[in-house]
Amino acid sequence: MAPPPAQLSRRTLLSAFAAVPLLSACGNSSGGDGKELSFWNFYGPSDDQGPQSKWFVAAAEEWNRNNEVKVKLRYIPGKDYLNGTTLQTAFQSGQGPDIFLISPGDFLRYYNGGVLQDLGPALSAAARADYLPGLLEARSVDGKVYGLPMEIEPLAMYYSETAFEKAGLSEADLPKTWDQTLAVAEKLTGKDRYGVMFETLPGYYQNFTWYPFLWQGDGAPIKDGKVAFDSPAAVQALKFWQDTIQHKVAPRKALGDGGGDVVSNLGSGAAAMQESGIWAVADLRAKARNVKYGVIPHPTPDGGKPATDLGGWAFVANSKGKNPEAAAKFIAWALGSTDAAGIERQRQWNTVVKTNVPPRKSVQAAADAKGAFADGALQKFVSEIAPTGKPEPRFPPEVYQPIADAIQACQLNAADPAKAAADAASRIDTFLQTYQGAPIS
Amino acid sequence: MARLQGMSRKRREALAAYAFLAPDTLGLLIFVALPMALAFGVAFFKVDGFGNYQYVGLANYRLMIGDDQLLAALKVTAIYVVTFVPIAFVVSFALAMLVRNQFRGIGWVRSAFFLPNVVSLVVVGLIWQFLLVDKRGALSKLLAPFGLGDVSFLGTPSLALGTYVLISVWFLMGYQMLVFLAGLKDVPRELEDAAAIDGAGSWQRFRYVIWPLLRPTSFFVVVNSTIGAVTGLQAFDLVFVLTKGGPARATSTVVLYIYEQAFTFNNLGYAAALTTVVVALLVLCTGLMFGLTRGGRFDED
Repeated sequence: MAPPPAQLSRRTLLSAFAAVPLLSACGNSSGGDGKELSFWNFYGPSDDQGPQSKWFVAAAEEWNRNNEVKVKLRYIPGKDYLNGTTLQTAFQSGQGPDIFLISPGDFLRYYNGGVLQDLGPALSAAARADYLPGLLEARSVDGKVYGLPMEIEPLAMYYSETAFEKAGLSEADLPKTWDQTLAVAEKLTGKDRYGVMFETLPGYYQNFTWYPFLWQGDGAPIKDGKVAFDSPAAVQALKFWQDTIQHKVAPRKALGDGGGDVVSNLGSGAAAMQESGIWAVADLRAKARNVKYGVIPHPTPDGGKPATDLGGWAFVANSKGKNPEAAAKFIAWALGSTDAAGIERQRQWNTVVKTNVPPRKSVQAAADAKGAFADGALQKFVSEIAPTGKPEPRFPPEVYQPIADAIQACQLNAADPAKAAADAASRIDTFLQTYQGAPIS
Repeated sequence: MARLQGMSRKRREALAAYAFLAPDTLGLLIFVALPMALAFGVAFFKVDGFGNYQYVGLANYRLMIGDDQLLAALKVTAIYVVTFVPIAFVVSFALAMLVRNQFRGIGWVRSAFFLPNVVSLVVVGLIWQFLLVDKRGALSKLLAPFGLGDVSFLGTPSLALGTYVLISVWFLMGYQMLVFLAGLKDVPRELEDAAAIDGAGSWQRFRYVIWPLLRPTSFFVVVNSTIGAVTGLQAFDLVFVLTKGGPARATSTVVLYIYEQAFTFNNLGYAAALTTVVVALLVLCTGLMFGLTRGGRFDED
C-alpha cells in the first residue's frame, strides 16, 4: 500500500512552486557540511517491502546508527527511474540527489555533466584490489573511479526444457551456432509458441542485449576513438536478428515487460529460447517455480568467439550535492567494505536477495562457501558465461541512438544490414568529430 | 464600501466578473502562460540538463533543418492527424446519431461507448498490447483460422501506426460522441418535424436540417481533435506504453521525439525549440480553420 499522500493545500502548493527558483539558485553553491544525504534508487523502501527493498533499508539504517551524516532513501519506481523524468528534472534544477544509481548507458552523460564525484579518496587499496578486472575501469575516467558497481549481470540464452521435450528435441539439440539457432527455433515454433526471442522494443536495453552478437565477430561501434561500426561483424549481427524475424521463428512483440521478462514469455510457454540476464534466475525462482529451464551461452557465428554483455548498476555520488565526501564514504562503505560484515552484506545482495555474479573476489569466495553457485543456471553463469563477458559499454546517447535505429530497421523493417551499418557509422562519425567529453568505450 | 456603492451597477458587475475569473486566469497564467514563455526563452540556449545554460541564438532552430528524424516524426504525426481526425469524427458522429433517440437501456449503451475514455491511457495501452500480441493475443486467436494468426499489429512498421490510430479512435470516440449528442440536443425538433411533414426523407432531414445546424459542433470537434492528435495525451502516453515509438520509429510522434530529446538526450534547449515550432504549426492550422469558417460563425452571413 502506498503511504497516504501528505495534505496539500493550494497555498502550500503555490508557495512550493514559488520557492523552486530560489532553491535551485542555491543548489549548486551549497556544499561541504550537509547532515543528511538523499539516496534515490528503485529498490527501497518500496511498497511491497520485498527482500531487495529490505536490503536497502537495512544498509541505510546500519550506516545511520554509526555515522553523523545520515542517509535518507527515496524510492522511485523502476519504470520512472529508467524512462521517466524525475532524476533528469532534479539535476536540471540543481536539486539532484546526493547518492543515486547509474547504469553504464548513463555514465558519460552524468560524468560529462560534471556531477559525478571521485570516489577514490574513500576507497581503500584493499577494496580496489578486490574488484574483478575491468569493472572499476569501466566506471573510471583518467584513473579516477566515479562509480562502484553493485552487481554483475551477464546475459545468456534461457531455454525451456518443456518446449524442447514437446518438440521431440533433447539437450543435444541445444544450438551452438547462429545457423543451428535458426534451425532449432524453426522446430520449436508452433501455433502459439516462438522458437527464440530477442528484445524488440527500442531502447538502451535492446542495444545492451545486441552487443554480444556484435562482439562475437570482433566488432565494436568505436575503436581507438574512431568509428568502427561499418564492419562485417556489425552487418552479420544485424542480419542474424533480422533472420529470426524473417524466418518467423521470433516474435515482433514480447509479452509482459518485454524481451527481458523470462517469466512472462519463456515461463508462459510463449517462447522456447530467450535471451535474458542473470536476474531472471531469481524471477523464475520467485514467480514460476514449476518452469523447467536451462541456460546456455549465446550461440556464435561461424568463426566467432563466445561473448556476453556484463550489465550492472553502480552507486554514484553527486559532486554538487550537499556533502559529496560523505556520500563517497557511504558508497565505499555500503559496497566496498572488506571486513566480514561488508562481505556478508554483498553476499546477501548478490546471491540471496538477488541473483548476480558478485563483482568482488572475496564476495564470490564467501558465496561459493555457501554453495550459491554449486549447480544449475547460476553455476553456468559464473563458471562459463561471465568469463566471456565485457562490461556494458558506456556510450553517450548520440552513439546509442544510431545503433538503436540500425537494430530496429534491420530487425523489424527488413532494412539492408550493410546499408544500416554504414548509415549508423556515418552518424556516429559526425558526432565524434565534435565530441569533447571523456573517452567513449 | 463607500467606493463600491459609488460605482455604477455596470462597473460593479464587471468587477465581480473579473473577481470570479481571477482564480482561473491566475492558474492559466502561472501553469500555462509562464511555462510557455519560458520555453520560448530556453529555445535560445544550449541546456545540458545539469543546470548549465549557454546562449546559442538560433542554433537550435538551424539544427532542425538537417534533422531527418524530426522530419520522420513530423510525417508520423501528419499521417496520424489526417487519419485519426476524420475516422474519429465519422465514428463518433455515427455513434451519436445511433444513441440520439430514447430507447430502453439507452443510458447503458451511452456509458458503454464512453467507458474507454475514463480508463487511464496507460491501462488502455497495456490492455491492447495484451489483446494484440503475436500468436497469443485475443485478436490473433480470432484471425488464426484465416491464416493471420502470426500478424503482429504492433510489431510491424506498416501496421503499427494504423493500429495506434484505431486504438486512439476507440479511446476518444465516446467523448466526441457526447459532444455531438449535446449538439444534437440543440437541434429543434420542430424543424425536423416540419421537414418530415414537407416530405423530406431521413437522409434529406439529416443533410439539410441536422448537418447545417450542427456545423459549430463539428467545427469544435475537428479543431479539438486535431490539437489532441498533435499534442494530446494520446500522442504521448499511448505511444510510450504501446511501442516506445517503434518498430523502427514507425510510431515516433513529434511529441515523443521532443520527450526523447529532452529526457533521453538531455538536449533541453533543442526540445524547447521544437516545442515552439509545433505550437506555431498548431496555431497556424487552427488560425487557418478559423479563417476559412469566419471564426466558427456559420450562421451569420
